[in-house]
Amino acid sequence: MCKQYNKKQLSIMFSTLFVGMLSTSSVSAEIAVIVNAANSSALDKNAIEKIFMGKMKKFPNGQVALPMNAAKSMNSRKEFNKAVIGRSSSQVNAYWSKLVFTGKGSMPKELSSDAEIISTISSNQGAIGYIDSGSVTGAVKVIAKF
Amino acid sequence: MKYFKRTLSTLLVSSTLISGYVCADVKISGFGSIVAGRTLDDVTLDNVGYDWSQPPSAANPPSITREQILTADFYDVGQYNNDFSFRPETVFALQIVADMGENLKVTGQLVAKGVDDFSPEFDWYYLTYQATDELTLMAGRRNIPMYYFSEFSEVGYAYPWMRPPSNLYWWQVTQFNGVHAMYDFSLGDFSNTISFFYGNEYSNDNKEMKYYDELYGGTARSVNEFWTDIMGMNWNLSGDFFDVRFVYFQNDRDREVIAQDGSIGDYTPFSQKFLGFGGTVDLAMFTFLFDWNLVTYDDANGTEFPTYLISAVYNMDELHPFISYSKADHKREKRTNTEDYEEHYMLSYGIRYDFHPSASFKIQYDKFVDEAVPESGWRYHGDSDTVTIGVDFIF
Repeated sequence: MCKQYNKKQLSIMFSTLFVGMLSTSSVSAEIAVIVNAANSSALDKNAIEKIFMGKMKKFPNGQVALPMNAAKSMNSRKEFNKAVIGRSSSQVNAYWSKLVFTGKGSMPKELSSDAEIISTISSNQGAIGYIDSGSVTGAVKVIAKF
Repeated sequence: MKYFKRTLSTLLVSSTLISGYVCADVKISGFGSIVAGRTLDDVTLDNVGYDWSQPPSAANPPSITREQILTADFYDVGQYNNDFSFRPETVFALQIVADMGENLKVTGQLVAKGVDDFSPEFDWYYLTYQATDELTLMAGRRNIPMYYFSEFSEVGYAYPWMRPPSNLYWWQVTQFNGVHAMYDFSLGDFSNTISFFYGNEYSNDNKEMKYYDELYGGTARSVNEFWTDIMGMNWNLSGDFFDVRFVYFQNDRDREVIAQDGSIGDYTPFSQKFLGFGGTVDLAMFTFLFDWNLVTYDDANGTEFPTYLISAVYNMDELHPFISYSKADHKREKRTNTEDYEEHYMLSYGIRYDFHPSASFKIQYDKFVDEAVPESGWRYHGDSDTVTIGVDFIF
Protein backbone atom coordinates (compact mmCIF):
# COMPACT_ATOMS: atom_id res chain seq x y z
CA MET A 1 0.00 0.00 0.00
CA CYS A 2 1.11 3.55 -0.60
CA LYS A 3 1.95 5.76 2.30
CA GLN A 4 -0.38 8.69 2.26
CA TYR A 5 1.56 11.22 4.29
CA ASN A 6 5.14 11.50 5.47
CA LYS A 7 6.05 13.08 8.78
CA LYS A 8 6.94 16.42 7.27
CA GLN A 9 3.62 16.64 5.46
CA LEU A 10 1.81 15.71 8.64
CA SER A 11 3.53 18.44 10.62
CA ILE A 12 2.68 20.94 7.89
CA MET A 13 -0.89 19.73 8.06
CA PHE A 14 -1.09 20.16 11.80
CA SER A 15 0.53 23.58 11.76
CA THR A 16 -1.87 24.63 8.99
CA LEU A 17 -4.74 23.38 11.09
CA PHE A 18 -3.42 25.28 14.10
CA VAL A 19 -2.89 28.49 12.16
CA GLY A 20 -6.29 28.01 10.58
CA MET A 21 -7.93 27.78 13.98
CA LEU A 22 -6.18 30.94 15.19
CA SER A 23 -7.19 32.89 12.15
CA THR A 24 -10.85 31.94 11.79
CA SER A 25 -11.92 35.49 12.43
CA SER A 26 -9.67 36.97 9.74
CA VAL A 27 -11.22 38.68 6.72
CA SER A 28 -11.36 36.70 3.49
CA ALA A 29 -8.09 36.71 1.61
CA GLU A 30 -7.70 37.05 -2.14
CA ILE A 31 -7.38 33.73 -3.94
CA ALA A 32 -5.07 33.25 -6.94
CA VAL A 33 -5.78 30.46 -9.42
CA ILE A 34 -2.46 29.13 -10.69
CA VAL A 35 -1.25 26.85 -13.47
CA ASN A 36 2.08 25.57 -14.71
CA ALA A 37 4.30 28.33 -16.16
CA ALA A 38 4.24 26.55 -19.56
CA ASN A 39 0.43 26.46 -19.68
CA SER A 40 -0.80 29.13 -22.10
CA SER A 41 -4.54 28.46 -21.61
CA ALA A 42 -6.81 31.38 -20.81
CA LEU A 43 -9.66 30.30 -18.55
CA ASP A 44 -12.66 32.26 -17.37
CA LYS A 45 -14.40 31.66 -14.04
CA ASN A 46 -16.91 29.28 -15.63
CA ALA A 47 -14.15 27.12 -17.14
CA ILE A 48 -12.26 27.01 -13.82
CA GLU A 49 -15.46 25.97 -12.07
CA LYS A 50 -16.05 23.21 -14.63
CA ILE A 51 -12.54 21.85 -14.19
CA PHE A 52 -12.93 21.72 -10.39
CA MET A 53 -16.39 20.10 -10.68
CA GLY A 54 -15.08 17.39 -13.04
CA LYS A 55 -17.21 18.63 -15.95
CA MET A 56 -14.28 19.76 -18.09
CA LYS A 57 -11.39 17.34 -18.27
CA LYS A 58 -9.03 19.20 -20.60
CA PHE A 59 -7.62 22.67 -21.11
CA PRO A 60 -8.55 24.43 -24.37
CA ASN A 61 -5.12 23.36 -25.73
CA GLY A 62 -5.99 19.67 -25.25
CA GLN A 63 -3.80 19.11 -22.20
CA VAL A 64 -5.50 16.92 -19.56
CA ALA A 65 -6.40 19.07 -16.55
CA LEU A 66 -5.30 17.92 -13.09
CA PRO A 67 -7.15 20.04 -10.52
CA MET A 68 -5.54 20.27 -7.06
CA ASN A 69 -7.59 21.13 -4.00
CA ALA A 70 -6.28 22.71 -0.84
CA ALA A 71 -6.83 20.53 2.25
CA LYS A 72 -10.31 20.68 3.77
CA SER A 73 -8.93 22.55 6.77
CA MET A 74 -7.39 25.35 4.67
CA ASN A 75 -9.15 28.67 4.41
CA SER A 76 -8.35 28.97 0.68
CA ARG A 77 -10.56 25.92 -0.03
CA LYS A 78 -13.52 27.59 1.61
CA GLU A 79 -12.86 30.90 -0.17
CA PHE A 80 -12.37 29.25 -3.56
CA ASN A 81 -15.58 27.19 -3.26
CA LYS A 82 -17.55 30.26 -2.31
CA ALA A 83 -16.08 32.63 -4.92
CA VAL A 84 -15.65 30.32 -7.91
CA ILE A 85 -18.00 27.35 -7.42
CA GLY A 86 -20.60 29.47 -5.64
CA ARG A 87 -21.31 26.84 -2.99
CA SER A 88 -20.20 26.03 0.54
CA SER A 89 -17.43 23.46 0.97
CA SER A 90 -19.98 21.01 2.40
CA GLN A 91 -22.19 21.42 -0.67
CA VAL A 92 -19.21 20.84 -2.96
CA ASN A 93 -18.29 17.74 -0.95
CA ALA A 94 -21.89 16.50 -1.19
CA TYR A 95 -21.78 16.99 -4.97
CA TRP A 96 -18.58 14.95 -5.18
CA SER A 97 -19.77 12.22 -2.85
CA LYS A 98 -22.49 11.21 -5.30
CA LEU A 99 -19.94 10.93 -8.11
CA VAL A 100 -17.20 9.24 -6.08
CA PHE A 101 -19.44 6.54 -4.59
CA THR A 102 -21.06 5.71 -7.94
CA GLY A 103 -17.72 5.51 -9.74
CA LYS A 104 -18.48 8.49 -11.97
CA GLY A 105 -15.71 10.78 -10.88
CA SER A 106 -12.70 11.29 -8.64
CA MET A 107 -12.46 14.28 -6.38
CA PRO A 108 -9.51 16.63 -7.07
CA LYS A 109 -6.38 15.56 -5.23
CA GLU A 110 -5.83 17.31 -1.91
CA LEU A 111 -2.58 19.04 -1.00
CA SER A 112 -1.81 20.31 2.45
CA SER A 113 -0.14 23.71 1.96
CA ASP A 114 0.27 26.53 -0.55
CA ALA A 115 3.97 25.59 -0.86
CA GLU A 116 3.03 22.01 -1.76
CA ILE A 117 0.46 23.22 -4.29
CA ILE A 118 3.07 25.48 -5.92
CA SER A 119 5.68 22.73 -6.12
CA THR A 120 3.17 20.22 -7.53
CA ILE A 121 1.90 22.65 -10.16
CA SER A 122 5.37 23.82 -11.15
CA SER A 123 6.34 20.22 -11.90
CA ASN A 124 3.09 19.10 -13.65
CA GLN A 125 2.13 20.73 -16.95
CA GLY A 126 -1.59 20.00 -16.64
CA ALA A 127 -1.97 20.87 -12.96
CA ILE A 128 -4.22 23.71 -11.81
CA GLY A 129 -4.80 24.92 -8.25
CA TYR A 130 -5.49 27.91 -6.07
CA ILE A 131 -3.58 29.55 -3.25
CA ASP A 132 -3.66 32.63 -1.10
CA SER A 133 -2.51 35.53 -3.35
CA GLY A 134 0.20 36.35 -0.85
CA SER A 135 1.85 32.95 -1.39
CA VAL A 136 2.34 33.33 -5.17
CA THR A 137 5.93 32.82 -6.40
CA GLY A 138 7.53 33.01 -9.84
CA ALA A 139 7.43 29.20 -10.15
CA VAL A 140 3.78 29.25 -11.29
CA LYS A 141 1.51 31.39 -13.45
CA VAL A 142 -1.52 33.23 -12.07
CA ILE A 143 -4.51 33.04 -14.47
CA ALA A 144 -7.23 34.57 -12.32
CA LYS A 145 -7.81 36.21 -8.96
CA PHE A 146 -10.98 36.16 -6.91
CA MET B 1 -21.67 -13.42 2.20
CA LYS B 2 -21.85 -15.31 -1.07
CA TYR B 3 -20.77 -12.10 -2.78
CA PHE B 4 -17.97 -11.65 -0.33
CA LYS B 5 -16.46 -15.00 -1.26
CA ARG B 6 -16.81 -14.36 -4.95
CA THR B 7 -15.28 -10.94 -4.64
CA LEU B 8 -12.53 -12.12 -2.38
CA SER B 9 -11.49 -14.61 -5.01
CA THR B 10 -11.66 -11.89 -7.66
CA LEU B 11 -9.46 -9.72 -5.50
CA LEU B 12 -7.04 -12.58 -4.95
CA VAL B 13 -6.88 -13.26 -8.67
CA SER B 14 -6.34 -9.61 -9.44
CA SER B 15 -3.69 -9.23 -6.78
CA THR B 16 -1.81 -12.15 -8.30
CA LEU B 17 -2.05 -10.49 -11.68
CA ILE B 18 -0.67 -7.20 -10.45
CA SER B 19 1.99 -8.59 -8.14
CA GLY B 20 4.58 -7.14 -10.51
CA TYR B 21 3.71 -3.61 -9.41
CA VAL B 22 5.73 -2.20 -6.57
CA CYS B 23 2.79 -0.16 -5.43
CA ALA B 24 -0.70 -0.36 -6.93
CA ASP B 25 -2.54 2.90 -6.48
CA VAL B 26 -5.19 1.86 -3.95
CA LYS B 27 -7.55 4.50 -2.60
CA ILE B 28 -9.80 3.88 0.36
CA SER B 29 -12.70 6.16 1.04
CA GLY B 30 -16.10 5.67 2.56
CA PHE B 31 -19.41 6.96 3.75
CA GLY B 32 -21.89 6.23 6.45
CA SER B 33 -24.91 7.29 8.42
CA ILE B 34 -25.62 6.85 12.10
CA VAL B 35 -29.37 7.33 12.28
CA ALA B 36 -31.92 6.62 14.96
CA GLY B 37 -35.62 7.20 15.16
CA ARG B 38 -39.06 5.99 16.09
CA THR B 39 -42.70 6.30 15.16
CA LEU B 40 -44.80 8.32 17.56
CA ASP B 41 -48.16 6.63 17.84
CA ASP B 42 -50.44 3.67 17.20
CA VAL B 43 -52.49 3.15 14.06
CA THR B 44 -55.71 1.38 13.03
CA LEU B 45 -57.24 1.13 9.56
CA ASP B 46 -54.63 -1.12 8.07
CA ASN B 47 -55.14 -4.47 6.40
CA VAL B 48 -52.65 -6.41 8.42
CA GLY B 49 -54.04 -9.31 10.40
CA TYR B 50 -57.53 -8.57 9.15
CA ASP B 51 -60.26 -11.22 9.11
CA TRP B 52 -61.00 -11.43 5.39
CA SER B 53 -64.04 -13.73 5.92
CA GLN B 54 -65.77 -10.48 6.89
CA PRO B 55 -64.24 -8.03 4.42
CA PRO B 56 -63.65 -4.48 5.63
CA SER B 57 -66.17 -1.87 4.61
CA ALA B 58 -67.51 1.41 5.91
CA ALA B 59 -69.90 -0.56 8.14
CA ASN B 60 -67.20 -2.97 9.26
CA PRO B 61 -64.02 -0.91 9.50
CA PRO B 62 -60.73 -2.54 10.41
CA SER B 63 -60.30 -2.30 14.14
CA ILE B 64 -56.95 -3.86 14.87
CA THR B 65 -54.56 -1.35 16.38
CA ARG B 66 -50.83 -1.75 16.20
CA GLU B 67 -47.76 0.44 16.53
CA GLN B 68 -47.16 2.75 13.61
CA ILE B 69 -44.54 1.40 11.24
CA LEU B 70 -42.51 3.42 8.78
CA THR B 71 -40.61 1.45 6.19
CA ALA B 72 -37.54 3.63 5.70
CA ASP B 73 -35.71 1.09 3.55
CA PHE B 74 -37.97 -1.22 1.53
CA TYR B 75 -35.30 -3.36 -0.09
CA ASP B 76 -33.72 -4.25 3.25
CA VAL B 77 -37.02 -4.01 5.17
CA GLY B 78 -35.61 -1.38 7.52
CA GLN B 79 -38.60 -0.27 9.61
CA TYR B 80 -39.16 2.09 12.49
CA ASN B 81 -41.74 1.33 15.15
CA ASN B 82 -42.46 2.78 18.60
CA ASP B 83 -39.07 1.68 19.94
CA PHE B 84 -36.26 4.17 19.37
CA SER B 85 -33.82 2.26 17.17
CA PHE B 86 -30.53 2.69 15.31
CA ARG B 87 -31.10 -0.45 13.31
CA PRO B 88 -33.29 0.46 10.29
CA GLU B 89 -30.98 2.92 8.54
CA THR B 90 -27.54 2.99 10.13
CA VAL B 91 -24.95 2.09 7.50
CA PHE B 92 -21.18 2.10 7.12
CA ALA B 93 -19.42 1.61 3.79
CA LEU B 94 -15.81 1.37 2.69
CA GLN B 95 -14.94 1.96 -0.93
CA ILE B 96 -11.72 0.50 -2.25
CA VAL B 97 -10.55 1.62 -5.68
CA ALA B 98 -7.46 -0.02 -7.12
CA ASP B 99 -6.02 1.72 -10.15
CA MET B 100 -4.23 -0.98 -12.08
CA GLY B 101 -2.86 1.41 -14.67
CA GLU B 102 -3.53 1.28 -18.41
CA ASN B 103 -6.95 2.93 -17.81
CA LEU B 104 -8.28 -0.01 -15.80
CA LYS B 105 -9.65 0.25 -12.26
CA VAL B 106 -11.45 -2.12 -9.93
CA THR B 107 -13.86 -0.81 -7.29
CA GLY B 108 -15.42 -2.61 -4.36
CA GLN B 109 -17.85 -1.27 -1.78
CA LEU B 110 -18.00 -3.16 1.47
CA VAL B 111 -21.26 -2.21 3.16
CA ALA B 112 -22.40 -2.99 6.71
CA LYS B 113 -26.01 -2.20 7.61
CA GLY B 114 -27.92 -2.22 10.86
CA VAL B 115 -30.67 -4.26 9.19
CA ASP B 116 -28.10 -6.99 8.49
CA ASP B 117 -26.67 -6.83 12.02
CA PHE B 118 -23.68 -5.03 10.51
CA SER B 119 -22.36 -8.09 8.77
CA PRO B 120 -20.41 -6.55 5.87
CA GLU B 121 -21.09 -7.50 2.28
CA PHE B 122 -19.54 -6.39 -0.99
CA ASP B 123 -22.65 -4.66 -2.36
CA TRP B 124 -20.81 -3.11 -5.29
CA TYR B 125 -17.89 -4.49 -7.24
CA TYR B 126 -17.08 -3.53 -10.77
CA LEU B 127 -14.33 -2.88 -13.26
CA THR B 128 -14.00 0.49 -14.95
CA TYR B 129 -12.20 0.84 -18.26
CA GLN B 130 -11.56 4.33 -19.59
CA ALA B 131 -11.70 3.44 -23.29
CA THR B 132 -11.26 7.02 -24.52
CA ASP B 133 -11.49 10.44 -22.86
CA GLU B 134 -15.22 10.40 -23.54
CA LEU B 135 -16.12 6.72 -23.26
CA THR B 136 -16.15 4.78 -19.98
CA LEU B 137 -17.03 1.09 -19.80
CA MET B 138 -18.03 -0.62 -16.58
CA ALA B 139 -18.80 -4.24 -15.79
CA GLY B 140 -19.90 -5.80 -12.53
CA ARG B 141 -22.32 -5.26 -9.70
CA ARG B 142 -23.87 -1.81 -9.26
CA ASN B 143 -27.20 -0.20 -8.37
CA ILE B 144 -29.78 -0.02 -11.16
CA PRO B 145 -29.98 3.62 -12.29
CA MET B 146 -33.75 3.82 -11.74
CA TYR B 147 -34.80 6.94 -9.86
CA TYR B 148 -32.68 10.10 -9.85
CA PHE B 149 -31.29 9.22 -6.40
CA SER B 150 -31.13 5.42 -6.84
CA GLU B 151 -27.44 5.01 -7.51
CA PHE B 152 -26.40 6.94 -4.40
CA SER B 153 -29.49 6.34 -2.29
CA GLU B 154 -27.36 5.07 0.61
CA VAL B 155 -24.91 7.99 0.57
CA GLY B 156 -26.83 10.17 3.01
CA TYR B 157 -24.22 12.91 2.82
CA ALA B 158 -25.04 13.47 -0.88
CA TYR B 159 -28.59 14.80 -0.39
CA PRO B 160 -30.43 17.04 2.06
CA TRP B 161 -32.88 14.56 3.58
CA MET B 162 -32.40 11.56 5.84
CA ARG B 163 -33.17 9.33 2.83
CA PRO B 164 -34.72 9.66 -0.62
CA PRO B 165 -38.49 9.35 0.03
CA SER B 166 -38.92 5.68 0.85
CA ASN B 167 -42.49 5.45 -0.42
CA LEU B 168 -41.05 5.80 -3.96
CA TYR B 169 -37.83 3.83 -3.47
CA TRP B 170 -39.85 0.74 -2.72
CA TRP B 171 -38.61 -1.86 -5.21
CA GLN B 172 -37.56 -5.35 -4.15
CA VAL B 173 -34.63 -5.23 -6.56
CA THR B 174 -32.19 -2.30 -6.52
CA GLN B 175 -28.97 -3.83 -7.82
CA PHE B 176 -27.89 -5.91 -10.78
CA ASN B 177 -24.93 -7.51 -12.45
CA GLY B 178 -24.29 -6.01 -15.82
CA VAL B 179 -22.39 -3.80 -18.18
CA HIS B 180 -22.52 -0.02 -18.68
CA ALA B 181 -21.22 2.24 -21.42
CA MET B 182 -21.06 5.93 -20.52
CA TYR B 183 -20.39 8.62 -23.09
CA ASP B 184 -19.56 12.23 -22.08
CA PHE B 185 -20.06 15.18 -24.41
CA SER B 186 -20.75 18.91 -24.37
CA LEU B 187 -23.66 20.75 -25.92
CA GLY B 188 -22.84 24.44 -25.81
CA ASP B 189 -22.31 25.21 -22.13
CA PHE B 190 -23.98 22.03 -20.93
CA SER B 191 -22.28 18.80 -19.91
CA ASN B 192 -23.96 15.58 -20.98
CA THR B 193 -23.51 11.95 -20.11
CA ILE B 194 -25.45 9.26 -21.89
CA SER B 195 -25.18 5.77 -20.51
CA PHE B 196 -26.53 2.48 -21.74
CA PHE B 197 -26.80 -0.52 -19.49
CA TYR B 198 -27.71 -4.18 -19.67
CA GLY B 199 -27.85 -6.80 -16.94
CA ASN B 200 -29.74 -9.30 -14.80
CA GLU B 201 -30.63 -9.81 -11.18
CA TYR B 202 -31.51 -13.18 -9.72
CA SER B 203 -32.49 -12.19 -6.21
CA ASN B 204 -32.81 -15.48 -4.40
CA ASP B 205 -34.44 -15.33 -0.99
CA ASN B 206 -35.63 -11.76 -1.53
CA LYS B 207 -36.12 -10.06 1.81
CA GLU B 208 -38.85 -7.62 0.80
CA MET B 209 -40.99 -10.20 -1.02
CA LYS B 210 -40.68 -12.63 1.88
CA TYR B 211 -41.81 -9.84 4.21
CA TYR B 212 -44.94 -9.23 2.09
CA ASP B 213 -45.68 -12.94 1.98
CA GLU B 214 -45.64 -13.08 5.78
CA LEU B 215 -47.57 -9.82 6.09
CA TYR B 216 -50.46 -11.30 4.12
CA GLY B 217 -50.45 -14.54 6.11
CA GLY B 218 -48.27 -16.57 3.73
CA THR B 219 -45.95 -19.32 4.90
CA ALA B 220 -43.45 -19.37 2.06
CA ARG B 221 -40.02 -20.77 2.81
CA SER B 222 -38.55 -18.16 0.50
CA VAL B 223 -39.39 -15.94 -2.44
CA ASN B 224 -37.02 -15.65 -5.38
CA GLU B 225 -37.37 -12.54 -7.51
CA PHE B 226 -35.91 -12.41 -11.02
CA TRP B 227 -35.39 -9.25 -13.06
CA THR B 228 -33.81 -10.24 -16.34
CA ASP B 229 -32.73 -8.51 -19.54
CA ILE B 230 -32.63 -5.18 -17.72
CA MET B 231 -31.87 -2.90 -20.63
CA GLY B 232 -32.01 0.87 -20.82
CA MET B 233 -30.40 4.26 -20.82
CA ASN B 234 -29.83 7.41 -18.77
CA TRP B 235 -29.26 10.86 -20.18
CA ASN B 236 -27.76 13.29 -17.74
CA LEU B 237 -27.66 16.99 -18.64
CA SER B 238 -26.08 19.58 -16.37
CA GLY B 239 -25.32 23.26 -16.46
CA ASP B 240 -24.12 25.84 -14.01
CA PHE B 241 -27.27 25.78 -11.88
CA PHE B 242 -29.05 22.53 -12.72
CA ASP B 243 -28.62 18.80 -13.19
CA VAL B 244 -31.40 16.76 -14.78
CA ARG B 245 -31.67 13.15 -15.85
CA PHE B 246 -33.93 11.19 -18.14
CA VAL B 247 -34.22 7.41 -17.68
CA TYR B 248 -35.82 4.61 -19.60
CA PHE B 249 -35.33 0.91 -19.06
CA GLN B 250 -37.27 -2.30 -19.45
CA ASN B 251 -36.89 -5.77 -18.05
CA ASP B 252 -38.62 -9.13 -17.66
CA ARG B 253 -40.07 -10.11 -14.30
CA ASP B 254 -40.51 -13.54 -12.78
CA ARG B 255 -40.97 -14.90 -9.27
CA GLU B 256 -40.76 -18.20 -7.41
CA VAL B 257 -42.75 -18.43 -4.20
CA ILE B 258 -41.34 -21.56 -2.61
CA ALA B 259 -43.62 -23.28 -0.12
CA GLN B 260 -42.42 -25.14 2.97
CA ASP B 261 -42.68 -28.44 1.07
CA GLY B 262 -40.45 -27.07 -1.67
CA SER B 263 -43.20 -26.69 -4.26
CA ILE B 264 -43.18 -23.56 -6.38
CA GLY B 265 -46.35 -21.49 -6.73
CA ASP B 266 -47.78 -20.43 -10.09
CA TYR B 267 -46.63 -17.07 -11.38
CA THR B 268 -47.23 -15.41 -14.73
CA PRO B 269 -44.09 -13.65 -15.93
CA PHE B 270 -44.44 -10.20 -17.46
CA SER B 271 -42.27 -7.34 -18.53
CA GLN B 272 -42.06 -3.82 -17.13
CA LYS B 273 -41.04 -0.42 -18.44
CA PHE B 274 -39.55 2.29 -16.26
CA LEU B 275 -39.67 5.91 -17.34
CA GLY B 276 -38.43 8.90 -15.36
CA PHE B 277 -37.31 12.49 -15.35
CA GLY B 278 -35.72 14.08 -12.32
CA GLY B 279 -33.07 16.45 -11.13
CA THR B 280 -31.97 19.39 -9.05
CA VAL B 281 -32.16 23.10 -9.79
CA ASP B 282 -30.40 25.83 -7.80
CA LEU B 283 -32.17 29.17 -7.79
CA ALA B 284 -30.81 31.92 -5.58
CA MET B 285 -30.95 30.61 -2.00
CA PHE B 286 -33.11 27.62 -2.92
CA THR B 287 -32.42 24.16 -4.25
CA PHE B 288 -35.36 22.36 -5.84
CA LEU B 289 -35.29 18.60 -6.26
CA PHE B 290 -37.83 16.65 -8.25
CA ASP B 291 -38.41 13.23 -9.76
CA TRP B 292 -41.31 11.96 -11.84
CA ASN B 293 -41.57 8.28 -12.72
CA LEU B 294 -43.94 5.86 -14.37
CA VAL B 295 -43.64 2.09 -14.18
CA THR B 296 -45.93 0.04 -16.43
CA TYR B 297 -46.41 -3.73 -16.58
CA ASP B 298 -47.63 -5.59 -19.66
CA ASP B 299 -49.67 -7.86 -17.36
CA ALA B 300 -53.39 -8.79 -17.51
CA ASN B 301 -54.28 -5.94 -15.12
CA GLY B 302 -52.51 -3.19 -17.04
CA THR B 303 -50.64 -2.27 -13.85
CA GLU B 304 -49.16 1.22 -13.61
CA PHE B 305 -47.25 2.97 -10.83
CA PRO B 306 -47.09 6.74 -11.32
CA THR B 307 -44.91 8.38 -8.66
CA TYR B 308 -43.42 11.79 -8.08
CA LEU B 309 -41.36 13.80 -5.64
CA ILE B 310 -40.96 17.54 -5.17
CA SER B 311 -38.70 19.10 -2.58
CA ALA B 312 -37.32 22.51 -1.71
CA VAL B 313 -34.26 23.31 0.36
CA TYR B 314 -33.35 26.75 1.69
CA ASN B 315 -29.57 27.15 1.78
CA MET B 316 -28.05 29.25 4.50
CA ASP B 317 -24.32 28.79 5.10
CA GLU B 318 -24.39 25.63 7.16
CA LEU B 319 -28.11 25.24 7.69
CA HIS B 320 -30.40 23.70 5.10
CA PRO B 321 -34.04 23.41 6.14
CA PHE B 322 -36.08 21.35 3.68
CA ILE B 323 -39.55 20.13 2.87
CA SER B 324 -40.52 17.30 0.54
CA TYR B 325 -43.69 15.71 -0.76
CA SER B 326 -43.68 12.31 -2.44
CA LYS B 327 -46.67 10.52 -3.85
CA ALA B 328 -47.04 6.93 -5.05
CA ASP B 329 -50.04 5.42 -6.77
CA HIS B 330 -51.00 2.04 -8.19
CA LYS B 331 -53.49 1.76 -11.05
CA ARG B 332 -54.91 -1.15 -13.01
CA GLU B 333 -55.87 0.25 -16.37
CA LYS B 334 -57.41 -2.98 -17.70
CA ARG B 335 -59.74 -3.46 -14.71
CA THR B 336 -63.18 -1.91 -14.22
CA ASN B 337 -61.87 -0.41 -11.00
CA THR B 338 -58.70 1.31 -12.16
CA GLU B 339 -57.98 3.40 -9.07
CA ASP B 340 -58.52 1.67 -5.73
CA TYR B 341 -55.20 0.00 -5.04
CA GLU B 342 -52.04 1.01 -3.22
CA GLU B 343 -51.79 4.78 -2.77
CA HIS B 344 -49.86 6.88 -0.29
CA TYR B 345 -47.96 10.10 0.17
CA MET B 346 -45.24 11.28 2.48
CA LEU B 347 -44.79 14.81 3.70
CA SER B 348 -41.39 15.32 5.25
CA TYR B 349 -39.59 18.24 6.70
CA GLY B 350 -36.39 18.73 8.57
CA ILE B 351 -33.03 20.40 8.63
CA ARG B 352 -29.53 19.52 7.57
CA TYR B 353 -26.73 21.16 9.53
CA ASP B 354 -23.23 20.97 8.01
CA PHE B 355 -21.36 21.15 11.30
CA HIS B 356 -18.15 19.77 9.78
CA PRO B 357 -16.68 19.78 6.21
CA SER B 358 -17.27 16.01 5.97
CA ALA B 359 -20.22 15.42 8.24
CA SER B 360 -23.72 16.74 8.60
CA PHE B 361 -26.35 16.43 11.28
CA LYS B 362 -29.96 15.89 10.23
CA ILE B 363 -33.30 15.79 11.91
CA GLN B 364 -36.45 14.90 10.01
CA TYR B 365 -40.14 14.41 10.59
CA ASP B 366 -42.10 12.18 8.21
CA LYS B 367 -45.84 12.03 7.94
CA PHE B 368 -46.86 8.96 5.95
CA VAL B 369 -50.48 8.89 4.83
CA ASP B 370 -51.86 5.61 3.54
CA GLU B 371 -54.61 6.56 1.09
CA ALA B 372 -55.66 3.05 0.04
CA VAL B 373 -59.30 2.33 0.89
CA PRO B 374 -59.59 -0.54 3.41
CA GLU B 375 -61.77 -2.65 1.07
CA SER B 376 -58.94 -2.76 -1.48
CA GLY B 377 -56.74 -4.92 0.72
CA TRP B 378 -53.82 -2.66 -0.21
CA ARG B 379 -53.82 -0.67 3.00
CA TYR B 380 -50.86 -2.53 4.40
CA HIS B 381 -48.56 0.37 5.34
CA GLY B 382 -50.85 2.30 7.66
CA ASP B 383 -50.36 5.95 8.53
CA SER B 384 -47.32 6.90 10.56
CA ASP B 385 -45.55 9.85 12.14
CA THR B 386 -41.82 9.36 12.48
CA VAL B 387 -38.91 11.33 13.84
CA THR B 388 -35.35 10.45 12.87
CA ILE B 389 -32.06 12.04 13.96
CA GLY B 390 -28.70 11.25 12.46
CA VAL B 391 -25.25 12.13 11.25
CA ASP B 392 -24.08 11.43 7.69
CA PHE B 393 -20.39 11.48 6.88
CA ILE B 394 -17.85 10.82 4.16
CA PHE B 395 -14.14 10.18 4.42
